[in-house]
Amino acid sequence: MQVEKFYYDNRIVKNFAYATILWGAVGMLAGLWIALQLVFPQMNITQYGSFGRLRPLHTNAVIFAFVGNGIFMGVYYSLQRLCKARMFSDKLSNIHFWGWQLIIVAAAITLPLGLSQGTEYAELIWPIDLAITVIWVVFGWNMFGTIIKRREKHLYVAIWFYIATFVTVAVLHIIRSGQLPYSWLQSYSWYSGVQDALVQWWYGHNAVAFFLTTPYLGLMYYFMPKAANRPVYSYKLSIIHFWSLIFLYIWAGPHHLLYTALPNWAQSLGVVFSVMLIFPSWGGMINGLLTLRGAWDRVRDDVILKFMVVAVTAYGMATFEGPMLSLKSVNAVAHYTDWIVAHVHVGALGWNGMLTFGVLYWLIPRIFKTNLYSKKLAANHFWLATLGILFYAIPMYWAGIQQSLMWKQFTEAGQLKYTFLETVTYMKPFYAMRSLGGTLYLIGVFIMFYNIYKTVKTGKLVANEEAEAAPMVKEYVKHTGEHWHRVIERKPIQFMIVSLVVILVGGIIELVPTFMIKSNVPTISSVTPYTPLELQGRDIYVREGCYVCHSQMIRPFRSETERYGEYSKAGEFVYDKPFQWGSKRTGPDLAREGTGNLKKSDGWHFRHFREPSSMSEGSIMPAYPFMIDQAIDTASTASKINAMRSLGVPYEKGYEQFANQELMTQANAVRINLKMEGIEVPANREVIALIAYMQRLGKDISNNKTATFNK
Amino acid sequence: MFKFIKQYAETIDNVDIYPMISLFIFFSFFIVLLVFVKKMKKERVKELSNLPFENEELTNSTL
Repeated sequence: MQVEKFYYDNRIVKNFAYATILWGAVGMLAGLWIALQLVFPQMNITQYGSFGRLRPLHTNAVIFAFVGNGIFMGVYYSLQRLCKARMFSDKLSNIHFWGWQLIIVAAAITLPLGLSQGTEYAELIWPIDLAITVIWVVFGWNMFGTIIKRREKHLYVAIWFYIATFVTVAVLHIIRSGQLPYSWLQSYSWYSGVQDALVQWWYGHNAVAFFLTTPYLGLMYYFMPKAANRPVYSYKLSIIHFWSLIFLYIWAGPHHLLYTALPNWAQSLGVVFSVMLIFPSWGGMINGLLTLRGAWDRVRDDVILKFMVVAVTAYGMATFEGPMLSLKSVNAVAHYTDWIVAHVHVGALGWNGMLTFGVLYWLIPRIFKTNLYSKKLAANHFWLATLGILFYAIPMYWAGIQQSLMWKQFTEAGQLKYTFLETVTYMKPFYAMRSLGGTLYLIGVFIMFYNIYKTVKTGKLVANEEAEAAPMVKEYVKHTGEHWHRVIERKPIQFMIVSLVVILVGGIIELVPTFMIKSNVPTISSVTPYTPLELQGRDIYVREGCYVCHSQMIRPFRSETERYGEYSKAGEFVYDKPFQWGSKRTGPDLAREGTGNLKKSDGWHFRHFREPSSMSEGSIMPAYPFMIDQAIDTASTASKINAMRSLGVPYEKGYEQFANQELMTQANAVRINLKMEGIEVPANREVIALIAYMQRLGKDISNNKTATFNK
Repeated sequence: MFKFIKQYAETIDNVDIYPMISLFIFFSFFIVLLVFVKKMKKERVKELSNLPFENEELTNSTL
């Protein structure tokens, strides 16, 4: 057969490689900065640099910019070679690259400006959500185009992981982005309360699964055999690994909501599937590690293999820990603490980071036809990164468990032993140690930056790498009794459809009943929509990212009901768009802030927002003096009320016309309260709206002691 | 149509059966997968796992 000559596009691989290094450094620097803010609250400089706005910047940068570009780097390199074809279209490759970088820049601008949807890892505003959809389609189009014009009949396991990633991220992104815009930049979630929470953690968990895990497993299945110079340990195991992993992962989201107001059956579903997840995950890890069979001696000298071994080991640790954290008894201790922070960083720094570095050190010299500038510097990077992970994770594990035990500690007289603030100040040394770990890791990245810069200088990019292969025979006669998997391995579109069905089964069974069946969210008659002032206050709460440190979900434990009051019920959140349950208690829960023992005066809140440590000595909360100067955006009130009504919140027709009038009446009442406490502030200030929102929290339930639950 | 389904779904009482159904679906899926993988031919598996290496000499240097 005539052999065809063609060229691999290495320029696009290089672009994505540079982008992953650059954004990796930026994202980690943001991480280090916010870690230090927890030790030195003075580092919250201006409203644009406060913890609540920068933390989403850190998570988005690391997930979508660092890992995202890492994925595309690996996919564009391996897909071309596995398909024996150049990428389908250079134009699409470039649109994909520049589009993705623009999205990242847009995120880096909007998040510090406080433009946020207030849902973790899906904070980006709706216009950016739209752009992500378009660029993701471009990526998929380019990928499938390449697969279709390939010269190799069979799709290697890495490609299945890429296909599953493409299709699942598309589904997740579209469903999570369900929102109704009320302005050119902002919107409210379609879902509310419990449903929003379920959609959020179905999305959030599977963002981990299908953005941080499956594409990187694809990279592992390609680059680890390449680096070790031997085929994957077991191809059969990789088939089982792939299908069970994508099937199980999609169900596990509710383990983020154990002991919350989520219906019990959904919680159990999440636990069962999370525990089962350990098997495919470890199957994958074992497959990765055993690929090094007979080559373990080389791990001592070969720094690339070192990076990959630590990456796969970290994957194994994180995927063992995940199912353990999903057990209700473990979750009762771990949830809301820094244990979870440690867990995700073992995944991000260990699995994603180390694999990215290994692939970079392997790939850059190859596309530049040269040798790595310094193996010694790479080895130094390896040790700094490995130690950095340990210095990061160990203090956080310790801190998380310690803090949880302190929260739950009672005196012999039956009272809570520690105030919340005491547990926070206890955390400070651990936060400092964690910053040291992060610093070590980041220094390693800078060393890599230098090493790769020097490597690139000594070589020259082979922008178009020559290759040869015979074209694929189009007419293929199916053998009778052929293995089913062989059939779909040749048919990428069918393969995608089968993967789609597999992930939809879990999604549908999990989400549909909660949406369709009324009994899942019992309504509480005393729960009413927010007043216009409270609504504006709530939007400020969302803008400032208060949810990254404060939960609004009291679990049914004595230690929590003693500290915060009555545990939270599903029916309390029916007007919450987005839900603000939070996932971490760096500060205390706020679900009952306006009621019971927790209720404080308007003046207390005012002084606390102006300078938190003046009311709570040793507080690490950022100060919000700018809210005293900034006026409430009353121009948006009407469109907000209209949007909420369209989404099912029972504001009367025409209410938007006098909503601002009511807003000012309520604001004036707060202003008078403040005046009586000796504080002079105009009624139209943001701080007034936020105080009104604080005072509303938990009130619905306390208004209704008998709490009638209507089915 | 949607309304009809919605009303119907609202009357389902035994929502607790969902976890059981899902476990059953996965279990059957997994068994079928296992059987098919077990039936794969050895030479075929070898060929597939060598896909990243085609037309290449396996050397011992990675750097």
